Amino acid sequence: MSEPLVEAKHLNVRRQGGLVLDNVSLTLGERDFITLIGPNGAGKSVLLRHLLKLENPESGSVTHRHGLRIGYLPERFQIDPTLPMPVKRFLALNNKLTHDQIAELAAETDCENLLDKPLVGLSGGELQRVLLARALSNDPHVLMLDEPAQNLDVSGQLRFYELIDALFEKRQLSVLMVSHDLHMVMNSTRQVVCLYHHICCSGAPDSVARDPEFIQMFGNEMAQMMAVYQHSHAHDHTHDHDHTHLHEMKP
Amino acid sequence: MMTPMLMTALALALLAGPLGCFVVWRRMAYFGDGLAHSALLGVAVGLIAGMSNQIGMILVAVLFAVMLLWLRTQRLLATDTLLGILAHAALSLGVVAMALLGFEDAEVHDYLLGSLDNVSADSLVYVVLGCGLALGLLMRLWPGLLLMTTSEELAHAEGVPVRVYEFLLMLLLGIVVAAAVQIVGILLITSLLIIPASTARLVAGQPETMAIGGSVMAALCMLGGLPVAATLDVPLGPAIVTLTVALFLMVLSVRLLAERLNLIN
Repeated sequence: MSEPLVEAKHLNVRRQGGLVLDNVSLTLGERDFITLIGPNGAGKSVLLRHLLKLENPESGSVTHRHGLRIGYLPERFQIDPTLPMPVKRFLALNNKLTHDQIAELAAETDCENLLDKPLVGLSGGELQRVLLARALSNDPHVLMLDEPAQNLDVSGQLRFYELIDALFEKRQLSVLMVSHDLHMVMNSTRQVVCLYHHICCSGAPDSVARDPEFIQMFGNEMAQMMAVYQHSHAHDHTHDHDHTHLHEMKP
Repeated sequence: MMTPMLMTALALALLAGPLGCFVVWRRMAYFGDGLAHSALLGVAVGLIAGMSNQIGMILVAVLFAVMLLWLRTQRLLATDTLLGILAHAALSLGVVAMALLGFEDAEVHDYLLGSLDNVSADSLVYVVLGCGLALGLLMRLWPGLLLMTTSEELAHAEGVPVRVYEFLLMLLLGIVVAAAVQIVGILLITSLLIIPASTARLVAGQPETMAIGGSVMAALCMLGGLPVAATLDVPLGPAIVTLTVALFLMVLSVRLLAERLNLIN
């Protein structure tokens, strides 16, 4: 087995007295696609920030493979409206991307018609695609996405997850994503890790959906729904998210 | 007499444009004001320690920034409250120290509002050298500073040492304060940073055009302010700042008119 890209061992993180991460270990290998799920306040973003080495844990360690490049899409992004910043300038900030490379990046993330627009006026979906392009700008081995589809409507979510799936196939990278959109995630995700301060369960979506801790956390209904949903798509990893899925998923 | 003044003004304008942009983008106006308030204390410190005014002011500015950054990490009070405490403590201490050192009220007044008499040929060396160094540093930090102004998290994740950059930006502000005190005066330094930059924002579509535009506007107002202050015998700082406000209003009117006529959107 090849060396893992990112490896977290026994992370402990304390915030305002409480343990946010309790002995969390996680390994991201080449071509892994892991989705981190869990209720609000479970420590998902905190874990991601530690995996990125933006913060240091109280105990435990995070190791990156030597020379690892990570593309990051942060949960919050708010630019001051007084900063004039066209999209293509943003994509080339603090790196040496050429005009052609930017055009290529934009084509890959469906941003071609946004390049000359200012960042400030973009819609939620447009901004997420631009941030995805930015995350790809250093040709990363790993994409780390923190709730990338949170402000999008349902069709926007579908479109965005399709985009990530396509990138996963085309660029041969690894993906670690925090997500709330359980129903969306299950179809495109190879591995689910369910976090509530500690790692409750992890594995393929259908096995996670049968886990008692998962059922306790998200309710039986969600678990059943997911099990059914996953079952009918168990061997279907193509990207034909048509809209009938949505009807199937309604409880 | 006019030449050192002119050169000081131009060096200052060159730095004020891009630095003023960061003050606007990162909402540091109140910080700049606080830093300026500490300048009187810097003058006193410089005199006591036998250093030049400028070095004293930069030292006090660094101390000011370090104390603010440290207090902020303690999370006891909001940043603007901390700034208020630090700024007025520094101003009061400065005025008291200058009185004890035997400065005349008129001299203190000149520091507060700027004066044509403040600039001498030997301080010119410090100012031009300081502005040149600061501009060089700013250009070197520019891409990283822009990225962290767009998103601090992204910058951090991409390896920009954001805390160091933040401190260096404060240091640069300290330098511009030290350079500008003599001309515009302590009370009006922030306006020299934010008004030209805001005026340039009205016509700029790129960060760099806003920065250069800010420098050009600041230079125009300085060049205009010098003869106005000399001819009308009014304080230099307020004369310059009045011009920057007039220029801002002019550009704003033109822009609003153009929007009304659908020339731009």
